[in-house]
Amino acid sequence: MSKKVLIIEDDKFLRELLGKKLTSAGYAVVLAVDGEEGLEKTKKEKPDIVLLDLMLPGINGFEVLEKRQKDPEISDIPVIILSNLGQKEDIEKGLKLGAKDFLVKAHFTPQEIVNKLQMVLG
Amino acid sequence: MDESLKQEEELQKKEEELHKIRLAFLNILEDKEEARLQAINERNKSLAIIKNFTDGLLVLDENNRIEIISPLVETFLGQKEEELLGKSIFEITSPKVNLKLLQDILKEDKEKGIKSIFRQEIKLGESLFLEVTVSHFKTGDKKGSLIILHDISRDKLVERMKTEFVSIAAHQLRTPLSAIKWTLRMILDGDVGEITPEQRDLLEKTYQSNERMIALINDLLNVTRIEEGRFLYQLEPTQLEDIVGQVVEGLKETASLKNIKIKIERPKELLSPIMVDKEKIGIAVQNLVDNAIKYTPAGGKVTITLSKNGNQAFFKIADSGVGIPQDQQDRIFSKFFRGSNVVRLETEGSGLGLYTTKNIIESHKGKIWFESKEGEGTTFYFTLPFAS
Repeated sequence: MSKKVLIIEDDKFLRELLGKKLTSAGYAVVLAVDGEEGLEKTKKEKPDIVLLDLMLPGINGFEVLEKRQKDPEISDIPVIILSNLGQKEDIEKGLKLGAKDFLVKAHFTPQEIVNKLQMVLG
Repeated sequence: MDESLKQEEELQKKEEELHKIRLAFLNILEDKEEARLQAINERNKSLAIIKNFTDGLLVLDENNRIEIISPLVETFLGQKEEELLGKSIFEITSPKVNLKLLQDILKEDKEKGIKSIFRQEIKLGESLFLEVTVSHFKTGDKKGSLIILHDISRDKLVERMKTEFVSIAAHQLRTPLSAIKWTLRMILDGDVGEITPEQRDLLEKTYQSNERMIALINDLLNVTRIEEGRFLYQLEPTQLEDIVGQVVEGLKETASLKNIKIKIERPKELLSPIMVDKEKIGIAVQNLVDNAIKYTPAGGKVTITLSKNGNQAFFKIADSGVGIPQDQQDRIFSKFFRGSNVVRLETEGSGLGLYTTKNIIESHKGKIWFESKEGEGTTFYFTLPFAS
């Protein structure tokens, strides 16, 4: 059974590009365009891992993490932050709110993101 | 008859003399009165200047007792003139702000016995930033100090707004650049089909160009944060050896691609810890090692030496690279400056690395300098005080 990845990203191009890469790498891919939809789909689809952007319309990525922490149904689904914010404060905040890792989109290629997923998911 | 005439003449002479003396005395009194009025005038002028000064002004005598203050000092410290005059600057208190920072600066200045003007920015309250300038004077046999408190709170606010703006701009710029990076990478990796060698060549160059832009944004972000950050993020006791080790480890591959040997010479005993912002010092060291590798031709050598210099950590990095031309050495730490000899080599570089590094080292109260000879190599040095 292939592992399921949920991508929460509001930029259509990046979302679809990453989805395409992950699909060809053998993952089952679920997409969400904002925080609300992301949380809904996390609950519904129970992915093995979530890739979470921070700058989202509506509730932002940090708020998604907060809500996830409080919800026992989804609080142990691992989350990797994928964002173009990269300041030390943002990274620390994200990790404190329960994210497993923090990747700056502009510093990683899709293949490198796949490699990270494999490291976390085994 | 002759006698009385003579006596009259004498009397007249004496009268004339007395008259002259009276005139002279009157003149002296007039001059004295004029001088007195002038002194009062001058004093009134000085008082008027001080009372209307648009900065906080304190004049201390040679025992650090407050002799004169301007009204703004009352405003800054929330303390009335009566509570301040005549007291030592180290004894006064303030219900409004924490004076310890200011008093520490003055103590430091006193201990170091700095002869020239001493200036530092301090945060005195939640939204009160002051630029403190201390100078010592001597007029005749009277010695004292002049402290000027200049309100830069608004300047700091503008600086913070600038940093926020750059952060947001950087993020906005990174988004389309990520899209370009990912697309090109996927095409180059063959994820969307085969490409011809000619197409590969063109796309690879575009990819590198894009990577340069991403790196430039990182540099700009760092620079802005450093400029705003005279207030460093988080100081921790750190081993300089660890930071240097990590940086070199991260650049090992880049160096080996050019067949450049990096050597680290450590002292026999561990250095004392330094009190630094780990991330910032990491950036500072990274820029220096990065430059050494970048500007050294293939097969060259980079040697890093760490040692103890009194109560400071001493860092030295020597390369066998292209060196810095003599006539450009005084600009090497300037923002966006790149030596003409390396621009010609077409090596990448934003010109921000050394500017950032110098800012970081000096914010930590360290010193940075270099020696270089074109065609032979460059050696950079910096010191950082040990945690006391």
